[in-house]
Amino acid sequence: MNKKPVVLLVLDILSLVFLAVAAYLALSFAPMEVNMGNVQKVFYFHVANAWVGMLGFIAAGVAGIAYLRSQDPKWDIVEVAAVEISLVFFLIAIVLGSIWAKPVWNTWWTWEPRLTTAAITEMIYLAYFMLRGGIEDPNRRGRFSAVYTLVGAVSVPITFMAIRLFRTIHPVVIGSQTSQAQGGFNMSPDMKVAFFFSLFTFTVIFVDLFWHRIRLGILASKVEELKLKVME
Amino acid sequence: MAEDKNPTTKPGSFLKAVFAITWKDLAAELRSRELLSAMLVFAMLVILIFNFALKLDARTRITATSGILWVTFTFAGTLGLNRSMAIEKDRGCLDGLLLAPVDRSSIYFGKLLSNLAFMFIVEAIVLPLYSLLYNINLFNPGLLLVILLGSIGYIAIGTLLAAMAVQTRTRDVMLPILLFPVVIPVVVAAVEASGGFLQGLAIAEVSYWINLLLVYDVIFIAISFMVFDYVVEE
Amino acid sequence: MSIIPPETTNYMIAGYAVFFGVFIIFITSMAVRWSNLKRDLQALEEIEKEKKS
Repeated sequence: MNKKPVVLLVLDILSLVFLAVAAYLALSFAPMEVNMGNVQKVFYFHVANAWVGMLGFIAAGVAGIAYLRSQDPKWDIVEVAAVEISLVFFLIAIVLGSIWAKPVWNTWWTWEPRLTTAAITEMIYLAYFMLRGGIEDPNRRGRFSAVYTLVGAVSVPITFMAIRLFRTIHPVVIGSQTSQAQGGFNMSPDMKVAFFFSLFTFTVIFVDLFWHRIRLGILASKVEELKLKVME
Repeated sequence: MAEDKNPTTKPGSFLKAVFAITWKDLAAELRSRELLSAMLVFAMLVILIFNFALKLDARTRITATSGILWVTFTFAGTLGLNRSMAIEKDRGCLDGLLLAPVDRSSIYFGKLLSNLAFMFIVEAIVLPLYSLLYNINLFNPGLLLVILLGSIGYIAIGTLLAAMAVQTRTRDVMLPILLFPVVIPVVVAAVEASGGFLQGLAIAEVSYWINLLLVYDVIFIAISFMVFDYVVEE
Repeated sequence: MSIIPPETTNYMIAGYAVFFGVFIIFITSMAVRWSNLKRDLQALEEIEKEKKS
């Protein structure tokens, strides 16, 4: 598996082109929102990145279950790829959310359910990598990772519901307004174009990066195998 | 593999195995008391620290109480879970249990019950102590219900994760890192419901939280029991 | 009466800069890991060949 498949190359090119178009649509084509100014345009990429995080999250859960059922190491590689991508993209989404919140609500952070749940998911991912780092045996590492992925996949939605319930009882008052509105603007048709094209672009980017990361994992596993063989 | 269950495992022998494991832990603890004393001392220290860390007047004390209690239980619980599993591993008991012709999940339930027992014992001592120290009546049936349900959820997932954590290089540190992010629904629900009951709210107003706790308990007992095999296989 | 929109362009730039920055760092990290692994693979294959002979 040395040569990059043509399909992947095509996907790379498409990803870059779509990204450029999405940026143009978000920055230039979409009109400025009057209540928030230009910072609102961060929203298009904020949501799209969170979307990629979600895709990775789901992929990780599926891979975890698949690993437990089949014990096939390939699923472990897929799982790690999914978690890593989700980690990076949720991070971007959280930071972008923070940047958007500052001028609009005069705070860097709101304990809003989605943002808080994303942050907790990041903590779970970090715990995931620490768990993996503490286990030598690849078989045990695969099993434990898969179990934790499953545990995380189930607990995160429940956490989201708990926090949402908590927030309806304890709304946060930020500055002079309550921040129950998440976004609170209406999208004009042009904005919708930018928004949905961003979602589409980042879905393509997810597939592209996921494929690349899985290839990387397969190569790493090959190197590990050879290392063991040679060091005998 | 998970499928290699002993074909003669009947409900009777399964339960026997579970209680045997639970009793083993309880009997051992009765003799040495190392686990309980560690948990208790720790819990009392946490409460002491809170006394100085949060300067609470009589009124805010009531609202802060549920939070303080659950932080105390969460941290002391981690200690108990860690020790419980570490003892298993260090004394080679785990290997012995694995060789026995019992369904692996009976090990999970056995440990679950003994860990739960330890947590209940600690809670049973902390509650009256806290009541005395802060002059708040904590003998509230609603509160006790929340403590029951919350502890079950916490220990259900905690037992599974402790079994994993004890097999990693960074044993003791690993458990809280794994456990806390996934046990947040329990903490949120328990603190809210406890606070509600202490403030005299009606059951209807805290019913969402009780339901959440129930759902969490059922789901995580089920998941932990189903995947426990994968965590203790050699 | 029309609203004067607040001047928040700097935040917008910061947002997009964060996205592109992290994105590029991530891709670069994957590329670097790939080339390191490739190099390791070659070295190991050499050692394997030598062991055989």
